[in-house]
Amino acid sequence: MPLLSISVFLPLLGGVLLMALPNKSARIAHGVSIATTGLTFVVTLAIWARGTLPGGFAQVEEIAWIPAIGAAFRVGVDGLSLPLILLTSLLFFLSAIYAARITDRPAVFVALMLMLETASIGTFAALDALLFYVFFEVSLVGMYFMIVGWGYEERQRAGLMFFIYTLLGSLPLLLAIIGLYLATGSFDMRLWIEAPPLTGLAAMLALIAMLFTFAVKIPSFPVHTWLPAAHVQAPTVGSVILAGVMLKFGTYGLVRFALQMTPDAFAQAGRVVLAFGVFSALYGAFVALAQSDLKKMIAYTSVNHMGYVVIGVAVAALTLDPDLRAVALNGATLQMVSHGVVTGALFFLVGMLQSRAHEREMTAFGGLLGQVPWLGWAFVLSAFASLGLPGLAHFPAEFQIFLATLNAQPWAIVAIIAIVVTAGLYLRAIAAVFLGERNEKWAAMPDLDRGEMLAIVPLLVLIILIGVAPSWLLNMIDVTMRALQL
Amino acid sequence: MARDLSFLFPELLLAFTVVLMLVAEMLRAPRLALTFGLIGLGLSTALTLPLLEADTSVFGGTYRVDLLSGWAKLILLPGTALALLMTRAEIAGKDREGSVYTLLCLVTLGALMLAGGGDMMLLVLGVVLTGLGSFAMVAWPRDDAATEAAMKYLVFGAVTGSVMIYGLTFWFGGAGSTLFSELGALQSKPLIALAGLVAVLIGLGYKAALVPFQFWAPDAYDGAPVSVAAFLSVITKVAAIFAFAQVLRDLPVATGWPVVVALIAAVTMSFGYLAALVQSNVVRLLAYSSVAQAGYFMLGIVALGTSPLALPSVIVFGAAYVAMNLGAFAVIMIAGRNLDDFKGFGRARPLIGVAMVVFLLSLTGIPPLFGFVGKVLLFGAAIEAGYLWLAVIGILNSVLALAVYLRIVVPMYQARDGEAVRAEVALPLLVVLGATALVTALMGLFAGVFPG
Repeated sequence: MPLLSISVFLPLLGGVLLMALPNKSARIAHGVSIATTGLTFVVTLAIWARGTLPGGFAQVEEIAWIPAIGAAFRVGVDGLSLPLILLTSLLFFLSAIYAARITDRPAVFVALMLMLETASIGTFAALDALLFYVFFEVSLVGMYFMIVGWGYEERQRAGLMFFIYTLLGSLPLLLAIIGLYLATGSFDMRLWIEAPPLTGLAAMLALIAMLFTFAVKIPSFPVHTWLPAAHVQAPTVGSVILAGVMLKFGTYGLVRFALQMTPDAFAQAGRVVLAFGVFSALYGAFVALAQSDLKKMIAYTSVNHMGYVVIGVAVAALTLDPDLRAVALNGATLQMVSHGVVTGALFFLVGMLQSRAHEREMTAFGGLLGQVPWLGWAFVLSAFASLGLPGLAHFPAEFQIFLATLNAQPWAIVAIIAIVVTAGLYLRAIAAVFLGERNEKWAAMPDLDRGEMLAIVPLLVLIILIGVAPSWLLNMIDVTMRALQL
Repeated sequence: MARDLSFLFPELLLAFTVVLMLVAEMLRAPRLALTFGLIGLGLSTALTLPLLEADTSVFGGTYRVDLLSGWAKLILLPGTALALLMTRAEIAGKDREGSVYTLLCLVTLGALMLAGGGDMMLLVLGVVLTGLGSFAMVAWPRDDAATEAAMKYLVFGAVTGSVMIYGLTFWFGGAGSTLFSELGALQSKPLIALAGLVAVLIGLGYKAALVPFQFWAPDAYDGAPVSVAAFLSVITKVAAIFAFAQVLRDLPVATGWPVVVALIAAVTMSFGYLAALVQSNVVRLLAYSSVAQAGYFMLGIVALGTSPLALPSVIVFGAAYVAMNLGAFAVIMIAGRNLDDFKGFGRARPLIGVAMVVFLLSLTGIPPLFGFVGKVLLFGAAIEAGYLWLAVIGILNSVLALAVYLRIVVPMYQARDGEAVRAEVALPLLVVLGATALVTALMGLFAGVFPG
């Protein structure tokens, strides 16, 4: 069975089905949504059970699309894309559960969300560059309408900025793809990875175009400015998907396209990329420290965490030692997954807090831990994970990134200062919101209900599981990264 | 002779249809004229299919039956049928209704002359035939705005047309023949080649509304009925672009024409979108947007003779452009000409709203819509021809395009002040919307049917 194609198109099918139904009440819409995303999650688990191959792609499926120019529907997985596909289907499933409380035009919301899931899984699974670009852009459209339709106060402006900014960001990638296509006569990404077609100046230009695209998506300093606006205004589910899944398009592309298709140029430009990564990590942490809006703060910590991924990839490009390279890339890939899980949880929790209080300013709260213990402890656990506490999800990832960095480019280890800053800002947030004097205004605030528990608990379990025993995930990643030929 | 005529069945049938339509109009039977038109266009399209593989020319090389002219028929004839339906929805029951239908088909005949012309005389014939009908259609409403617009259009057309004929005489003198296929003789005569090139750029640039010959377009579109504006913005424009392709692919690249065309393309794209950014009248906004789209077409023209992607890119984008632009104009006919009319439109009419979003995103070039496939091919052709800078400008303009089209999308989903009035939408218009939306949304996925 073509499981991969099924997992890509099942959500879309669910959305189309919903649109065709005569009765589109909230109950039915959310029922379709949970059933579809749940089924998709099961399919991706089956893909996981089939496994990957060392060196190359597994479970490849191919159908002709535009044969005249060598574009086809090609999908497949390896140790880089499979963890991200699993993360995507899980986060969408949990989002569907949490979104069941949306009553404003529920059917349209669900259809958009399912379209986004198709685009997201498709982006990670695509082995055809044109197909990749199609999914990459469709996700933009879906997210734009989600922000504009269901966001908060400033949603129009934030949505517009997000759309125009990221479209400007992604078009250079199209140029790079066309360049690679003209050099080979095919859009097959496997060909481009096996034998990078461009050399010299052409490769460097293509790399610069790709780096620009992925830097906007990651987002890396100085093209990160769309992120806080989009995150703060997006609805909770939008924030979770944006941070948990869509930011990974950038880091995934950084490895899949920039590193694998123009490896020599990347090695030449590695120090510059590394410097941007280090600066992003530090900058994200310090700016997050300056925020008093909880959602904005978490948005900026994403800049920080994704900065570590950039550091890991850049170190991998710079080092000649294959073991060290595998360590750096393992760390970077695991960091993508950890960030998806942890930040997904944090955005869920802030969303839950906001839906109760209609407030995101830290100073407006206080002493909530006694009032809403479940919400409080879940936030504390996720925050500790986010600041890199050993035993929680980010630690094994960041440890490997820093290990490789220290060995290959010792100066870049200054980025570790950011961890201290993140620790400070999370402790401050916890103190302001959940500890201290109790604010009587929130005396009637209810704790998490069953739907919210269902959405958040799996993420908390994963945070601990990845932190304590990451090997089930790392082994899969490691097999691919060790076989990587650069 | 018989052989030559057998290749011209679609054109002959269309000419015959126009005569029948004229008779029907004289009998004051506009619905009959419309029926004749639709049947004639449908049959001509069907007759084109067996000729698609042909690559020949008739009447001593003056008229070409090749890939380009074949696809021109497949694109322009159904496009005209859709425009006929739109016109019907807009002017049904009005005076001289049938004349507009007849003129639409007559202009399309001229458009086919342009797209298939292999000779300077035929080029002139095509320009004049498309021009005369268009002037009359713009003036049709008989109010001040329409008269002024038609006057502008006519004067502009007369001047550029004469300049073109004058300039073509240089090519005739230099090459010793009016056939485009003899233009290779100009290889060593750069000045003569340049003189003729400038003339063609003026004459066809005016038809395609390239900067700096675009002044008439916003006024003419705004003065004419919306459906006629839609027709002018797609059929005559695409025909002019195809005529560019027929002429320039025979002109030696060594004469340096691609650089000139590339510069015009860059200016046209940028000016079109910048001007569209400040419009509050949606017809004018789309008029400037179609100026910019003409600039994108030129990316493919630039690559003629150097990239095998050039012709397919122009054909595919031509098909996409006809579908999405006609669709967008059809939505304007329902919503209204002002940007304010679009406030809350998407909430009041969800399905038509989604269709409009599809048209506008396709015009921007968002995948997997049809416009995207065309633009990828255009960019690919330009890059292969060595015009990376032009592709970069095209890409930057795509961002500007998004800003332009979002100006329509954003208010569509805002809350409307007061109750929305839901007028009944005429059936022909629904047919047009359905057909264009399906083509725009799905043809990108089936782009394999196009030549490549």
